[in-house]
Amino acid sequence: MSALDSISTRLAYTEDQALLRDEARRMLATRSSIEAVRALHPDPVGDDPAVWSELAQLGWLGLLASEEHGGAGLGAVEFAILAEEAGRTLLPTPLLAHVLAAKVVDVGGSAAQRATWLPPLAAGGLRASWAHVEVGGTWRVDDTTVEEEGGRLHGTKAFVWAAETADVFCLPVRVDGEVRIALVRRDAVGLHVQGEAGLDRTRRQGRIVLDGAAPEALLERPASEVEAAILPLAWTALAAESVGGATAALDLTAAYAATREQFGKPIGAFQAIKHPLVNVLIATEQARSLVYAAACAIDQGNDDAVLLARMAKAGSADAYGFATSRAIQFHGGFGFTEDCDAHLYRRRALASRPALGDPDHHRARIADQILGARAP
Amino acid sequence: MAQEEIFTQEALDSFRAEVRRWVEQNRPPDPGFVLPQTMLSVTTDDQFTYLRDWQAKVYDAGFVGVEWPVEYGGGGRPRGYQRVVDQEMSRAGVPFLINLVGLAWAGPVILAYGTEAQKQRFIMKALRADEIWCQGFSEPSAGSDLASLQTRAVRNGDEWAVSGHKVWTSLGRYAHQMILLARTDPDAQKHAGISFFLAPMKIEGIEVAPLTKLTGEGGFNQIFFDDARFPAERLLGQEGQGWEIALATLGFERGASDGAAGGRSDVYSYDIGALIELARETVRDGRPALEDPSVRDRIARFATEAVAMRFSRLRTRIPGLVADRPMALPLMAKVESSEHLQRLADYGCELQGYAGSLTKGDPAAVDEGEWQRFYLNTYSMTIAGGTSEIVRNILGEKVLGLPKTR
Repeated sequence: MSALDSISTRLAYTEDQALLRDEARRMLATRSSIEAVRALHPDPVGDDPAVWSELAQLGWLGLLASEEHGGAGLGAVEFAILAEEAGRTLLPTPLLAHVLAAKVVDVGGSAAQRATWLPPLAAGGLRASWAHVEVGGTWRVDDTTVEEEGGRLHGTKAFVWAAETADVFCLPVRVDGEVRIALVRRDAVGLHVQGEAGLDRTRRQGRIVLDGAAPEALLERPASEVEAAILPLAWTALAAESVGGATAALDLTAAYAATREQFGKPIGAFQAIKHPLVNVLIATEQARSLVYAAACAIDQGNDDAVLLARMAKAGSADAYGFATSRAIQFHGGFGFTEDCDAHLYRRRALASRPALGDPDHHRARIADQILGARAP
Repeated sequence: MAQEEIFTQEALDSFRAEVRRWVEQNRPPDPGFVLPQTMLSVTTDDQFTYLRDWQAKVYDAGFVGVEWPVEYGGGGRPRGYQRVVDQEMSRAGVPFLINLVGLAWAGPVILAYGTEAQKQRFIMKALRADEIWCQGFSEPSAGSDLASLQTRAVRNGDEWAVSGHKVWTSLGRYAHQMILLARTDPDAQKHAGISFFLAPMKIEGIEVAPLTKLTGEGGFNQIFFDDARFPAERLLGQEGQGWEIALATLGFERGASDGAAGGRSDVYSYDIGALIELARETVRDGRPALEDPSVRDRIARFATEAVAMRFSRLRTRIPGLVADRPMALPLMAKVESSEHLQRLADYGCELQGYAGSLTKGDPAAVDEGEWQRFYLNTYSMTIAGGTSEIVRNILGEKVLGLPKTR
């Protein structure tokens, strides 16, 4: 496989990482059971403050932030572990959004900015989200149409996770022709939040309209540098979350197929059910291998990270879609009802697929990377 | 502490360099005739002799059975070394090791279930290709339902007498030994009545009849047993233990179990790299196919699958990353890798456009029609050793906990 020969990432997994997974799985099984997730559906906030506090006490809200500023100083593998476990239970608490936003501050901030912002972010007293997507769906920082003029911001960001509950947003803005990351408080004068009617009720999202709001800070480093550091992490975390969700959907469906009887036997005995479920298993396990490859590449500072993270994002989105589509279908008439959990996972999969690039987008870039860019 | 590979990377790197150097310096000469793509298609005496000599040479250099016990002719090295040899041989494009059945299936089960005398008798000769092995499992009426096999072995004093009919036997004409499944107790429950034999092939009562494969090549055979007699010590394990040993053999054949003495490299040189080369050289709409967005998307899909398989293989060695479903990765490897290659080969044929309808012998055939031959040959991988469908049953039942299909 000549084109891929240069991949040199090595997989590693420590005892501490295994313990972290056990702890996360135990905690989330009780605090984010599917009943608890459903109970939050009508809730205007959409997540449980008690769970937020518990995540803060466990140190997971500051997972990636530097230890000197109160963070846990951990890496992509730990983030993937938490994201995978959170995905398994459709955790409505905006853990991913917050951890990524804190990392934006950590990567982009000056020493003083990091000293100011990271401690409350790591402790969970301040909730943050990364608001980088345009109304039209473009999401690279260089696509931003938010402008800074005379210390005031004008523009709109959409598809912002936890828009209604975050205290502060990190968003790319144009300042004198250069794109920088601004920190803006939700309660700033001139900032308006509109909740979006999301397909996935377990991950709230909304639109932020900036009509003269003043930023609290402009991070020191250029936005493109911050983005380069954040994207592989974000792709990998989202991929891990999708792999966790795909696994939960598969488990749910396999358990149903093993007990639901038709024609005198459990439907899982029929190959029309069994073989597609095995195909789901294969797609999910392949995606999981890519997730941990990407996470290890990031932690090892390996040049493979971008390629592997794109592969993980593309592969996991496909696997999650496949797993959840089969989950609804194989539950039959029950699968078509609100009561069946399958659609909750299907909705998450549909909502996560476009985030930070859909599979087509990533495969086009994977091709560029291994084949060289196309001639113009 | 990181649970990484159990060998030191430096030692392994230096071993890799040693293998690479040896392979470069000892590449066998062009035979002057077409070589088969795998051991399934060895058709002529010239091909057989050439490939057998090559394996003996590789063994004498110390690169076959690298991890096997020294007392039976192996190299006694830790796990991970044989894979390096397989990778380097694959990379260099040198011929495959002909005695795959001996190295990868028969040998490991003899080491696991054999008596001391059996190990002394068979192992080293298999490593050096002094004795070639074949497999006698499938029968005309026992394919996916292997345990319904009807070939009978009857004990007469110090001998077994075998009668029956085996099929799809690669290397049957050349083999000296066969791993043979036969029914020894017709009254027992079907799985319990089977025993496992290390049967000699060059004896009276065995007739080999050739079959022609879908590629037009030979190398495939059926074997008729008519009161073929061999000594009692040819039984492996206990009478009635055959099914258990057969499952262990299939674990090796499907690549689910580690421990082969070589030959498990990618036997085809057709992979994602070859596909990219083909796309570079193929013209579509006046430009290289490689610039077509749909072609690029397909290549990125194949690349993603190939990289995922590679990291799945590495992940099997890290218990913490397979804890939830420890058997999933080993069992799915055969299905995923064989079907990946089949799709890739099919796409290689498609990319050629009209030229994809040509085969060897036509001057306009791309790469002398090798893609097409490769594609047809990939069905050996999705059928042999348990069809993809049977392996999916096993995955569904053993890994997902679904009820049995039959």
